[in-house]
Amino acid sequence: MFKFRDISIRNKLILMQVFTSVLVLFVVFGVFIYTDINSYKVRKKDSIVSLANVIGTNSISTLQFQDQEAATKMLAELHNVAPEIIHAGITDANGQVFASYSKPGEETFKIPRVLNGKAYVFINNQLFVSNPIMNNDQILGRVFLEIELSDLQQIKEYKYELAAVLLSFAIVFSFLIALLIQSYISRRLLQLVKTMKKVGKTGDYNKIITDDGKDEIATLIQVFNKLMQQIKENIEKKDQFIGIASHELKTPLTSIKGYVEMLDLMQTEPQKKQFIQKALSNVNKLERLVKDLLDVSKIQSGQLQLEMQEFNIDSLLNETIESVEMVSPTHKIIRTNDCDNQLIIGDRQRIEQVLLNLLSNAIKYSPGENLIEVECEKTEKELIIKIRDFGIGIAKEEQLNIFERFYRTKDLSMHISGFGLGLYICRDIIRRHYGKIWVESTGKGSVFHFSLPIKHSLQTQQTVV
Amino acid sequence: MAQTGEQEANLKAAFIYNFTKYIDWGNYNNENFVIGVMGKAPIVESLKQIAKTNLVNNQRIEIKVYNRPSEIGKCDILFIPKENRFSLKSILDRTGKGVLTISEQPEFAKEGTAFNFVIINDKLKFEANLKAISSAGLKAGSQLLKLAIIVD
Repeated sequence: MFKFRDISIRNKLILMQVFTSVLVLFVVFGVFIYTDINSYKVRKKDSIVSLANVIGTNSISTLQFQDQEAATKMLAELHNVAPEIIHAGITDANGQVFASYSKPGEETFKIPRVLNGKAYVFINNQLFVSNPIMNNDQILGRVFLEIELSDLQQIKEYKYELAAVLLSFAIVFSFLIALLIQSYISRRLLQLVKTMKKVGKTGDYNKIITDDGKDEIATLIQVFNKLMQQIKENIEKKDQFIGIASHELKTPLTSIKGYVEMLDLMQTEPQKKQFIQKALSNVNKLERLVKDLLDVSKIQSGQLQLEMQEFNIDSLLNETIESVEMVSPTHKIIRTNDCDNQLIIGDRQRIEQVLLNLLSNAIKYSPGENLIEVECEKTEKELIIKIRDFGIGIAKEEQLNIFERFYRTKDLSMHISGFGLGLYICRDIIRRHYGKIWVESTGKGSVFHFSLPIKHSLQTQQTVV
Repeated sequence: MAQTGEQEANLKAAFIYNFTKYIDWGNYNNENFVIGVMGKAPIVESLKQIAKTNLVNNQRIEIKVYNRPSEIGKCDILFIPKENRFSLKSILDRTGKGVLTISEQPEFAKEGTAFNFVIINDKLKFEANLKAISSAGLKAGSQLLKLAIIVD
């Protein structure tokens, strides 16, 4: 169903103005047409009443001398004087019809009952007039006239047509004017809405809207700017905190790890060694989390440095797959093809981090399956690595968000640990390599793609940048 | 118009009274408006009835009956009823200026009376002799003449 509140402010303003002007014009035209038609009626009535007067005056002698023929003859001549007369009649002092005239084709004259004592009456498009015939204060009889107002209908139609044409013009003009005026109010609101939507989508809180107005919209914009400022400051504080915290956590953690590793080497008693190794695996997990946080902090502050070197992608893939398979024996990782020992310029460790992340994600999100496929695709400019799992897949609306910071799946049936930073870091690393990362997903699994420029195209890209 | 003699007399009396509204006698004096009737006739009663309640030019109406032409005196209208036995000529000779003569016998208008009642198609009509009217020094209104049958 149509709801007024669902229309945009812009259209509301236009609608309001058009509606108001149309309403006003409607009333004005209505009054004009009404008075116009009324004055036409009054004029017509006046002229017919004077005609009735003339007829009456001319009928005095015919009534006095009871000359019906002369009276009838006189009335018959009305046909030439006023063709719109349908019926005319003269009654004598007793109210009996003395003489009458009817337009050819019309019924014979009858004293019109509609008058009911009134001097004139309009019924539909007919005018009835009754006028006394006076002679020296003595009423000798009455004249009755029945007029067809054939031009009244025409006049009405003409007026209505004119009003309709003018109204349509008015609607068009008021629409155009409204279109111009509304922008003054709605433009600023729409700009604010647009900016807010953009901020909501991109998370870029640096947007400040300039507005020199002093009305409520200006206040709204000022409040918005202030909020943006506060959010920005809060984010900066949080990022700072993450940086400091991860840094501070890392130092003692590294030393714990060292000691636990040493203990592991020294211990031979199976029971104790098992505990130490449990502790070590948790320390490693913790270290990964802290490293992720540290990476994010570096990305935020722009301190993430890449150590660019040339390396063979095939050997990196093989190494990474081997190490993942060692930790996760549940899944078999198959390379469907090799990459012709393609050489890539990049930070080998960071690309490995991306691969590790994607592979462990693939394992994490396909519980109960046992296969992961890694595929290579080479085009003229870039190399695309595809990592395919056969798990639950990712809902369409989530596909864009998974690369955001701290994003955790909304699917509550899965319990996945971690901060939700992995893909965010992956995206940043790949972007810094002038590549792209994206996901294609169906209900039967997901395929994560990332592309890396091949040596020569990277050089051209770097020069362009 | 199956009228009794009385009704016909009343109608003619009313016509005579109505004639006065369209005839201009020119000079008015303060005397009574005199309608003379030549001899006894039913119309006398009818005229007397009208005279009771009506005025002509704000003057009272007086009805006089002349038994012979020599009795004809000063009057404004002289009615010659069909009962009259005297010759028309002898009567007209006695009427001077300012007297409207009205008769009710065929051909009388042609012979010199100003107005003459006739019955046509059972309806009362009247002939008018314009020469007689003007020679009597009177003026007749057009509204009256348009209803009259004009003779000569």
